[in-house]
Amino acid sequence: MAEMKDITTAYSEALVEIGLADPRVVVLDADLPDSCKTEPFYKACPGRAIDLGVAEQSLPTVAAGLALAGKIPFYNTFAVFAVGRSFDMIRLSIAYARANVKIIGHAAGLSLGYAGPSHHALEDVAMMRALPNVVVLQPADAEECRQMVWWMKDYVGPVYLRLMRATVPNVHAEGWRFEVGKTELLREGSDVTLYSTGDLCVNALRVAEMLAGEGISARVVNVSTLKPLPPEEIIRHAELTRCGVTLEDHNIIGGLGSAVAEIYAEFAPGKPLRRLGIRDMFTESDDCEVLRDHYGLADADVVAAVHSLLDKT
Amino acid sequence: MTENRPPLKTPLVPERDQAFVRELKLKAVMVRKQIVEMGHHSRIRLHYGALMGMVEMVTLLYFHWLNVRPDDPNWPERDRFVLSKGHGVPSLYAVLAERGFFSKKHFDNFRRFGSILQGHPDRLKTPGIEASSGSLGQGLGVACGMALAAKLDGASWRTYCLVGDGECNEGSIWEAAMIAGNQHLDHLVVLVDRNRKSSYGPMAGRNDIEPLVDKWRAFGWAVFEADGHDFYDLSQAMARADVVEGRPSVVICHTIKGKGIPFVENYPAKPNILLTEEQYRECLDVLNRTEEAIRSGRDEGHHDRL
Repeated sequence: MAEMKDITTAYSEALVEIGLADPRVVVLDADLPDSCKTEPFYKACPGRAIDLGVAEQSLPTVAAGLALAGKIPFYNTFAVFAVGRSFDMIRLSIAYARANVKIIGHAAGLSLGYAGPSHHALEDVAMMRALPNVVVLQPADAEECRQMVWWMKDYVGPVYLRLMRATVPNVHAEGWRFEVGKTELLREGSDVTLYSTGDLCVNALRVAEMLAGEGISARVVNVSTLKPLPPEEIIRHAELTRCGVTLEDHNIIGGLGSAVAEIYAEFAPGKPLRRLGIRDMFTESDDCEVLRDHYGLADADVVAAVHSLLDKT
Repeated sequence: MTENRPPLKTPLVPERDQAFVRELKLKAVMVRKQIVEMGHHSRIRLHYGALMGMVEMVTLLYFHWLNVRPDDPNWPERDRFVLSKGHGVPSLYAVLAERGFFSKKHFDNFRRFGSILQGHPDRLKTPGIEASSGSLGQGLGVACGMALAAKLDGASWRTYCLVGDGECNEGSIWEAAMIAGNQHLDHLVVLVDRNRKSSYGPMAGRNDIEPLVDKWRAFGWAVFEADGHDFYDLSQAMARADVVEGRPSVVICHTIKGKGIPFVENYPAKPNILLTEEQYRECLDVLNRTEEAIRSGRDEGHHDRL
């Protein structure tokens, strides 16, 4: 396996890089520069990082004002607050106004396991996917995160970047480049397609290896652009395999599973699909990996889903 | 406007600026007439109370205060004005058209499909609209962001923001107020439209925001008060607010909801109405009489000091 790297650390480093490269980049925090690893930006670009304090509702509005005056604000807090606390502000002052704001949702999904359901962000993708004008991204690993941050600096328009607090190996092929709106084939396969997003791509690759041991050929696809998701980006995988499984650290309503299911229903009739994720319930406190296993994201759950689908095809 | 026009942002005084203030008053009458026409011809319910009450503030801003270029609305060095109380946008539309940001022919299609004049402010559709608003409590945060950007750039342009007093019930207003205080945003001036009524009726004893002066002061702001219908008084307070250093300023503008049209001023609550033919005639008659009084100088000395 390749070298392990923390996704948030990659974000932190890339943020400093783009800050040094472009004076329009500014950073907003809501009392969490330590958790969001924005502290290096304060040192590298003094004056261009502002900690508003515990004022999550004002992150989107203040960022919108900065953007309308020509800045490129990246605002940071835990995903559950970055989106949920201030959704109306994002909707009107950023999305409707097409303000060039970059929303960074840190420690998404079950990342903050022990903190419990108040801090688990399991509906943020659903909310952001429902907003016109917004691009929704989730990197699989540190390298993809780095490339996304650079892309976000140059793209003019609102972007939601969903970050897991996870240390993972590089999953990409040599020379790979991030392209918005494109799915990434991580492993060829012909029986089942495993669609995953975020650090769960690592799990999907691991499960594919397990399935290979029993003679099942699993295709692994990284869906790092959750919106826009052009149907053809899913159809091309659907057509080459007998069935599909989606894997996400999010409610199965409104996230990756929904996005893929919408395309399967309309364009790939007859191909069965299973959505793995949090099954529309409030969670409990524990270690993130323990919770993922508990809520149906264990490798064995993925394997079982594949078995049941292949039995039907 | 005439050669009597003083330089932008000069505090107005009766001895010197009488002719100019007379022109501002006439503009305010034209704006009120335009609002009445807009609502009557579109057959759409309007918040006449809120719209009439803010006319002098936006008229003063666009005809004497803001450094803007109607033919180049995105000129980078312009002053910014954010209408946080977005439901007041018909008044702003009337002023922007009067100032030349867009043609008055757009009023024919006001709030209709394809119009540049939406129900609430849309910065992408309407020249001169700086921020999309309409959900209360957001505009002040946006204005803070603009003022922060100007501060980062060392720019000289200023940001002005009009907030409703009912809107001050929103927690996000005070979150933004705290940020502006902490960030020492002295290029930011807020005007509060203090008419003491929110949509459902009087605020006293229900959704009160007093002591309002103390609240803003406690959040680190310089606080001024003015008669929101008196161009002299308003401009004096604005001039004092503009020169404050090291902290943001607020001008609490005492206004009368529905100002200028007696039956709207006295409307009990919810002045979100469709004008009857009779009410429409009454509005225009009142405004015509006001206009005649201004032209003949008969209104001098009758400012509604509160």
